[in-house]
Amino acid sequence: MHIIHGTWIPDDTNEFIQKGAFYLWVETDVPVSTSRNRTGTVHPRHLAHTALATFLMEKLGLQEPVSGALARTLCLKYFLLPTVAGKPSPSFELLRYMDEEEPMEFDLAPWQICCYQVPDIITALNDIHFIALNAAEDFQLGADILFWHQYSQAIKGIIAKDQYLPAQKYREISSPSINRGATTKGKRAKNSSSFELHPAWELLSDTYETTIQRYVAAMPGVCTAGLNSPDVGAALFDKESLLRHFSEYLLNNIVTGTPFTAKFDQQIAGTLLYGCVYPYRPALLQASADSLEDYKHWLAWRANLTKAHTEAGFTLCFRLEEASPTDIDNWQLHFLVAARHDPSLKLSLDEYWYLNPRDRAEAARPFGKDFEKNLLLALGYAARIYPTVWAGMATDHPAGCRLTLDEAFAFLKESAWVLGDAGYSVIVPAWWTPEGRRRTKVRLKTSLRSPKGAATVGPGYLSLNTIISYEYQLSVGGQVVTEEEWQQLVNAKTPLVQFRGQWMELDRDKMQQLLQFWQTHQHEESEITLLDMLKIGTEAEDDLEWEHDQSLRDMLSRLNDKNAFAPIKDPESLQGTLRDYQKRGVAWLQYLESLGLNPCLADDMGLGKTLEVIARMLKEREETGDVPPTLVIAPTSVLGNWRKEIERFGPELRTLVHQGSTRFKDKQTFAEACQKHDVVLTSFALARLDEKLLQGLEWHRVVVDEAQNIKNPQAAQTRAILKLAAPHRLALTGTPVENRLRDLWSIFNFLNPGYLGKEAHFRKAFEMPIYKDNDLTRSTTLKKLVEPFILRRVKTDKRIIDDLPDKIEQKMFCTLTPEQASLYEAVVKDVTEQLNEAEGIQRKGLILSTILKLKQICNHPAQFLQDGSAFTTERSYKLQRLGEMIEEVIESGESVLVFTQFTEIGSALERYLEQNKHYNTYYLHGGTSVARRERMIAEFQDPETEPSVFILSLRAGGVGLNLTKANHVFHFDRWWNPAVEDQATDRAFRIGQRKNVFVHKFVAMGPMEERIDTMIEDKKRLSSLVVGTDESWLTELDNDTFKDLIALRRSAVLE
Amino acid sequence: MAQFSRTWWGQRFIAALEQFTDPARLGRGRSYASGGRILEYTLAKGTVAARVRGSINPYFGVYKEPIYRTTITIKAITAGDWTKVIRQIASRADLVTKLLMNEMPDTIEDAFSGLGLHLLPHSERDFETSCSCPDWANPCKHIAGVYYLLASALDQDPFVMFELRGLSRDDLHAELVRTPLGKILASALTSDDVPVEPVESYYTLPTKEPAAVVASHKEFWTGPKRLPAPLATASQAGVPALLIKKQGDYPPFWHKDVSFISVMEELYDRVRTKNRQMK
Repeated sequence: MHIIHGTWIPDDTNEFIQKGAFYLWVETDVPVSTSRNRTGTVHPRHLAHTALATFLMEKLGLQEPVSGALARTLCLKYFLLPTVAGKPSPSFELLRYMDEEEPMEFDLAPWQICCYQVPDIITALNDIHFIALNAAEDFQLGADILFWHQYSQAIKGIIAKDQYLPAQKYREISSPSINRGATTKGKRAKNSSSFELHPAWELLSDTYETTIQRYVAAMPGVCTAGLNSPDVGAALFDKESLLRHFSEYLLNNIVTGTPFTAKFDQQIAGTLLYGCVYPYRPALLQASADSLEDYKHWLAWRANLTKAHTEAGFTLCFRLEEASPTDIDNWQLHFLVAARHDPSLKLSLDEYWYLNPRDRAEAARPFGKDFEKNLLLALGYAARIYPTVWAGMATDHPAGCRLTLDEAFAFLKESAWVLGDAGYSVIVPAWWTPEGRRRTKVRLKTSLRSPKGAATVGPGYLSLNTIISYEYQLSVGGQVVTEEEWQQLVNAKTPLVQFRGQWMELDRDKMQQLLQFWQTHQHEESEITLLDMLKIGTEAEDDLEWEHDQSLRDMLSRLNDKNAFAPIKDPESLQGTLRDYQKRGVAWLQYLESLGLNPCLADDMGLGKTLEVIARMLKEREETGDVPPTLVIAPTSVLGNWRKEIERFGPELRTLVHQGSTRFKDKQTFAEACQKHDVVLTSFALARLDEKLLQGLEWHRVVVDEAQNIKNPQAAQTRAILKLAAPHRLALTGTPVENRLRDLWSIFNFLNPGYLGKEAHFRKAFEMPIYKDNDLTRSTTLKKLVEPFILRRVKTDKRIIDDLPDKIEQKMFCTLTPEQASLYEAVVKDVTEQLNEAEGIQRKGLILSTILKLKQICNHPAQFLQDGSAFTTERSYKLQRLGEMIEEVIESGESVLVFTQFTEIGSALERYLEQNKHYNTYYLHGGTSVARRERMIAEFQDPETEPSVFILSLRAGGVGLNLTKANHVFHFDRWWNPAVEDQATDRAFRIGQRKNVFVHKFVAMGPMEERIDTMIEDKKRLSSLVVGTDESWLTELDNDTFKDLIALRRSAVLE
Repeated sequence: MAQFSRTWWGQRFIAALEQFTDPARLGRGRSYASGGRILEYTLAKGTVAARVRGSINPYFGVYKEPIYRTTITIKAITAGDWTKVIRQIASRADLVTKLLMNEMPDTIEDAFSGLGLHLLPHSERDFETSCSCPDWANPCKHIAGVYYLLASALDQDPFVMFELRGLSRDDLHAELVRTPLGKILASALTSDDVPVEPVESYYTLPTKEPAAVVASHKEFWTGPKRLPAPLATASQAGVPALLIKKQGDYPPFWHKDVSFISVMEELYDRVRTKNRQMK
């Protein structure tokens, strides 16, 4: 794994002009052998020379004109890095990939690093940032590069707003004067001061100042750690001055590096500007007295500029009042002022001048001192931008001015916007809002028709086969107009017209175009599918509008307001009750399916998506009777849970689990078996392996659980799943899908192929503008496109919070792997023999030790075998499922607690989560020092820290722990004493918790865990037998009960 | 022909002069206005008195560079009339504001013409000139030179015209404070001299932090706080060169005829569109 770092390093020099450069370096986790490292100061884990050049060219796409040229441009720099025991510690980002702990104490020592000097900083950083977004496995960007990237973009924005000006830097030089003649023996030489004026560029911008402060506050220390040479006593740079140095250099670099034309050069020749633009060309000679005078003029000019936008205590506002229809050239532009500190406090100048002088002073008070002077100045500056203001000032009580229709239109079209951008507040009539302006459109009037030949259906019935037909109409302001009226408007000479009582803007060319379009197409009768209608409706919002008949209108409003769904009643065959939001969810599923639209259910983990799907399946059988089977594809670790939940909540559904070596292999027999079942469960792997079996069968619905597993459209399993034929498709996922655009596309490609266009088109139309250019309009359009299809409720949603209890417990049932099953059986066999002979204390000991062994097996074989074997997910579904669930939670931006009673599990989990999944993980156990413990808890709780995982031992969940930031708690293994368990989870998060908390308890299916669990549930109600804090109550059971408890049921293993 | 004075006001002054003086003669004075030939000049009570260095001219028997005394007096507007004019000016916010911004409003003559007066001289009789040079032409080069100098002085300070017509600064101040808007203008007339600002280094000097205390390993690498949210790019470009537009065109350090603002607009535009880092 490589981490890319880089920072700005100013040159070491005492000269007046101190330059600098941006240096990039690459850290790795594998130490590079350095036979040349005699001095011991070369950083052992970074790419150097040819390795660096190769990396830059291959991974970052840098070009070199001649082979080997890049390697020659690399240079050596030094960085002050945290050092422990003579070695530099890995960076924070790299630590996750290495087997080292974060050092608590360290020194800063200089290390030599091979660097690449970056030209064109802004573009280079932006390119690297974009490349890194899609290359997460190969390399990652360090926090320092992310900082500089974002900061350089911010500076680019300020430069793009022209917020800088040409400047002169005055530098005093003292030099001894030359003595005239030789008669001055004994006289002391006088020093006369002279000066130099250096042309420069200066940023003058409030935005710049606030940006500097915000970024200094967030700047990583490593950004200030660059050095040109490892002197003794080297220190870090001061953050603010480094940032300013960088910004000023960058500004200079950009302006002086811009190409200008010869004509332009001529225009500026001989002026102050020439030197600023071409600092390296010899300046035309100018007498120094003149240049000093010019410098003073420049100072005064700059002082005025600075004053111009900081002094007044108010902002100037303009309000346009529309003319009445009878006097169309009488528009009024009123002048007002709004207080800076409270923009809602406004004063119209009309009123102000009307008051007598005493009252005026009173009225002006909130607007700062020297109100009238600043007012005149403000009006003058505004007039420079919009000269019509002068007309309103030809009086000693300036309060507004009159505009003709044409002037008003010009104001609305352009000046209003220009003034607004210059910082003035502009209030325009309500009909000039963006929606109000787009009033002339072509309208599509839709109606429903049944397919040809079918019996006519009543109004309001919308089904898969209903065809939507449309015809074109002309509309203005939402009302249909005739062709004559339209033509009249087109013929009007004025850009603003009064139409049916309201003013509106006319774009005559556009209207002409629309008229022609309508004339050619008006007699067509066209059809459109529902899906296309949704798509076009969102993408072409500006030019088209729709008039839907009642049923379509209802449908659209329901699609967009998901809370409008009336919750269904609990299906009769449901064993249990649905919560309110779940009922609404099922209603929504039903509705979308009835429209032929394939939905994605994206509720937060723990809210019960599985149950909603089960309810849907039950309901459809209630309503329509015989329905072909639904195929559910899910990760192997979840199949057991599905089966368990169906058994528990919908036992009427006949379930077939297609898994393991005993599954059907023959197409014929498989097809027959499927006919006899309602639900067929299978894994992703088998969806690919057995694709021939699964294809060609008549499925009623294909459900993909944990849909992030089909996020890669090229993967074989994705392609296999896409080939399955079914009238309905459903995707379930707990992660916010809209955040990862490529995943989103793939899931939609499964659900509603073609809706988001082809992959290449999607990338160009959405992914690049949103990610690379930060385009908000594309982002909004995409959200609108996908919104009708995704239902996502989160735990923090106020509408469902009341439905949820504060602490929601969920049991995750996992099956055993074959390895676990065989180990389990071996232990059980062993114990059964010994149990018959043991008595008393020996017996108790035997029972307790057996339970311990079995627990270990159910957790992970490596824990039981203690043979240092791999802690992988293939050997334990519990581990696999835990990893998947934690991934969902972290993706949703939340933090997690994991409890285990075994220290081996705790440390193995920590290693697994840190190194394989790269989450920010903490592990607190008996051996953790107090200082470290405090640090971990503080970091975990810090709102600035990213979502993290905190692993604890059950015993440590004791005194004084505050881990309220987590709202998911996982019990990896159980302590068969509910009081202790509950206490641990409660104490860990009860105080200050405002969110609902989900507690997930892992239970291995089949073996004793499940059965003890049932027993405990029963006993909880009686609350008599379980006393004390340990598990010794289990020893009270008699042999037969115990043997029965630990026997392994076949159903436990899905192989 | 290149204009000597760039603001419309200075040009109007010259144009007004050209109405009643020989333009050719006037033109000869241009070279005298620069090049250090006018050694000094004073303006008091409507009279400009200057010492101008002449040239060697054997024809006139001049063998070494002489220094001539040149005076120009412009007919004054009476104090009473000035009172009325100032009151007129102060009744219009647009005139006051432009003067506040150190510009001569182009409608300034309105305030004078209503009273049958002119601000700019418009006939020979408004001027009285004299020069100690032997050239009998009127205007001689030296007088013409002083005219041009006045025109450029008008560029920088429109109130010089008022002074030339007999209203001293103090009197101006006194008249202005009689009206509310005038008071505002009066307060802004006193200008401060801006002191030089010497700097130690061209860019902000990057200093070193003394013995920095680094809080934690994580903080060293990732920073004490999360990065601020990046600002979304504006969908439309803003007003170009907005910052400098607030101060008028032709700032005093700009000695060319072409508009400073238009030059800067082109510069900003090219930086935004032609620089490969900004695309």
